[in-house]
Amino acid sequence: MITGRDALVLLLAGGVGSRLNILVGHRAKPAVPFAGIYRIIDFCLSNIMNSGLTRVGVLTQYKPLSLMRHIGGGEAWDFTGRTRGVKILPPRTGEKESDWYKGTADAIRQNIDFIEANPSEEIVILSGDHIYLMDFDSMIAYHRYKKADVTVGMMVVPKKEIHQFGAGIVDDDNRVIGWEEKPKEPKTNLASMGIYVFDTEYLLSALAHDRKEFDFGMHMLPRAIARDQVFAYPFYGYWRDVGTIQAYWEANMDVLREDSGISPQEWGIRPNISADGRPMDHAPARFLSGSMVQSSMISAGCVIEGTVVNSVLSPGVRVEKGAVIKDSVIFEDSVIEQGAVVDLAICDKRVWIGAQAVIGQGGDNSQPNKEFPTHLYTGITLIGKESHLPAEVTIGRNCIIVSKRQESDFAEHRTIGDGELF
Amino acid sequence: MFKPSTLAMILAGGRVDELGVLTYYRPKSAVPFGGFARVIDFALSNLMHSGIELIAILSQYRSYSLINHIGTGAAWDMVGRYRGISILPPFKDYESPDWYRGSADAVYQNLDFVHYHNPSEILILSGDHIYQMDYREMIQYHIEKDADLTAAFLEVDARDAHRFGIAEIDNNGRLTGYEEKPEKPRSNLASLTILCFRPEVLYDVLGENQEDESYEFGRDIIPMMMKRHCRVFGFKFDGYWGYTRTIDEYWKTSMDLLGKDPRINMEEWGLRTNLEHRGICVCQPLHVGGRAVIENSMVYNGCHVDGTVRNSILFPGARVERGAEVIDSVLFFNTIVHNGARLNRTVSDVNTSFGAGSSIGGPKDDNDPGEGITMIGWNNQVPDNMKIGCGCTVYPKLTSDKWSAAFLPDRGVLK
Repeated sequence: MITGRDALVLLLAGGVGSRLNILVGHRAKPAVPFAGIYRIIDFCLSNIMNSGLTRVGVLTQYKPLSLMRHIGGGEAWDFTGRTRGVKILPPRTGEKESDWYKGTADAIRQNIDFIEANPSEEIVILSGDHIYLMDFDSMIAYHRYKKADVTVGMMVVPKKEIHQFGAGIVDDDNRVIGWEEKPKEPKTNLASMGIYVFDTEYLLSALAHDRKEFDFGMHMLPRAIARDQVFAYPFYGYWRDVGTIQAYWEANMDVLREDSGISPQEWGIRPNISADGRPMDHAPARFLSGSMVQSSMISAGCVIEGTVVNSVLSPGVRVEKGAVIKDSVIFEDSVIEQGAVVDLAICDKRVWIGAQAVIGQGGDNSQPNKEFPTHLYTGITLIGKESHLPAEVTIGRNCIIVSKRQESDFAEHRTIGDGELF
Repeated sequence: MFKPSTLAMILAGGRVDELGVLTYYRPKSAVPFGGFARVIDFALSNLMHSGIELIAILSQYRSYSLINHIGTGAAWDMVGRYRGISILPPFKDYESPDWYRGSADAVYQNLDFVHYHNPSEILILSGDHIYQMDYREMIQYHIEKDADLTAAFLEVDARDAHRFGIAEIDNNGRLTGYEEKPEKPRSNLASLTILCFRPEVLYDVLGENQEDESYEFGRDIIPMMMKRHCRVFGFKFDGYWGYTRTIDEYWKTSMDLLGKDPRINMEEWGLRTNLEHRGICVCQPLHVGGRAVIENSMVYNGCHVDGTVRNSILFPGARVERGAEVIDSVLFFNTIVHNGARLNRTVSDVNTSFGAGSSIGGPKDDNDPGEGITMIGWNNQVPDNMKIGCGCTVYPKLTSDKWSAAFLPDRGVLK
């Protein structure tokens, strides 16, 4: 029996996610590929489907095209049917409200017509850029049991990380009695996961209260806590905000370890098999004589003649004889030619690494990226979409090669030193 | 107004005894092939790439697996205003109280379906061959020759010719002779059961054939048309052609998937399967463990390999544990090979597990004229340390009391 069958889901998928650097150069953060065949938003959409919820609005803003193509009609997540549906909700210019979404609450406010057109008891608000497994129906049942106005998904995080989150203080009954948004000196280690269940009527009246309240964490929750019934819904398990290159890479590496607690298949996560470019239109992976593959994930359509260790390969990647891929994430249809080395890198789609080229030269990670020192500082090098690196070039650590670099661009740059942006 | 002009009818009903336990619960066209697909996917993908959009599948034997596999037809883009795949099972009415009595009878019984669509050509295919072909070239040839029937032929080894329908063809491409499975073949051009008919002639000969006792295209319809002096032409095909009628053929054809330049290149051929069938679209990528060795093999998403896999093909859900060894074998969906088990020249059907330390099959025996492939039927739990020899057959779904012996000798049968 599904409690929240009629709940309406609003998925916030508009953030820029700029700390993912060139991975979000052409796409919104939720559309970034993950774990070989998925995109980040597949986790959220699959959780919604597996919770038995059937009506979803996806609020987009930044570079929505690849996200829209990926969601399509929503068939992949069973969102088609008489009462089912997934709608894309981009910002609109109207008579009064003629602006981009200014924040989470503002984005919801600008779509009040959608909320009213889809009557519901509860509204579930989620962000589309987290990796986790959660049953929202249990959360709705909890919300009803507590007779809450708002229920917030919360989990314990290490104290040093709490400054990135909204932090709540709860009483013995899990009622939230204090709130700090991104606190410098936290009093708690209980973090908001950006997952809310609102009583629909409560949400509509709260949004009407003050139209300058743009953000849930900054404005609406602190006021609600003071006056209304706000409860924490405790979450235990694997949950990652993969909003930084480091976190994104680590979560991919987690998928390789059987004890990490993340398993897309066991979680019932569905990719979109008929999305643009049809990433699933591939025959099984082929391993040729001489291939050496260990501790890795290999998607259909890969052809491997070289060595792959501790890496995640999306569909259609070719690893030629003598090539070595280590500790890396390689997106669809990239080619690593003979004898090339890719060590600790993320290669976007259709990257071409020429024969004997070296990505991740030397063992020194101490020079962070010179343009984006807070993005790349542990040695990871990024290769942008459709860049072609000629044979025998050498790229250092913490480097960024932007998208669509051609072989001729490297004519006078055969060696790119640590921390360079090229 | 645009309408599809060619109707394709796939003969997918049969079961072949030689393929034994693999076709106990499914027709041969639904036998898994190529690490993720089914045999019939080759014909369906060829039709899709040939732009033929109206398809009927004649199914009779255990059709559930096939019906499930075809689904809506969306996997081959066959859903649309004039696009579609219809499955035509046998039925009973006042006129035809029987099952399909043969391939020609199956088409005859569905002539009302054919008349409704009123095609300009009727393309009859068999659903159990592994090949890539653009049927448009053959249909074009058929139209140019103003043929009543055009049949595709392949040059085969003269020693094998007696197993096929063999034609003699003149310089103009017209058949001057045709014999089904002749004892003394007069040529080595073998029919591929790809037949393009002029509809009016087909209706006529199928009606006349009803008076006979046998109802097969190769054995009855083509000879009848030769006798009537119909315009019967041969279209020579020179691409790869893979059979799957016997376990040896199935295994040898599967091995053509492997190698650096495989003879069957599914990726280049654009092979499509229904990824919703068995839910293989929700399989995560292959997980390769820290002790794995994978060489000259083909492995789909949803597998887990931490042992040794050589010259083998693994379907989704196959699991090869640490210390296990799989050589020259084909493991269908959800086959589990436990620690220390060794499989050699084995074809394992779905949901079968091999206990720790078991040993199945072995290298080819030079005294055996066949390939010595061991076949394990579906839903079996092979006990720990069980020894099964070469060329053995294990029936599907055996209860634990059948496994009392610890040893099955070469060419043994366990049922």
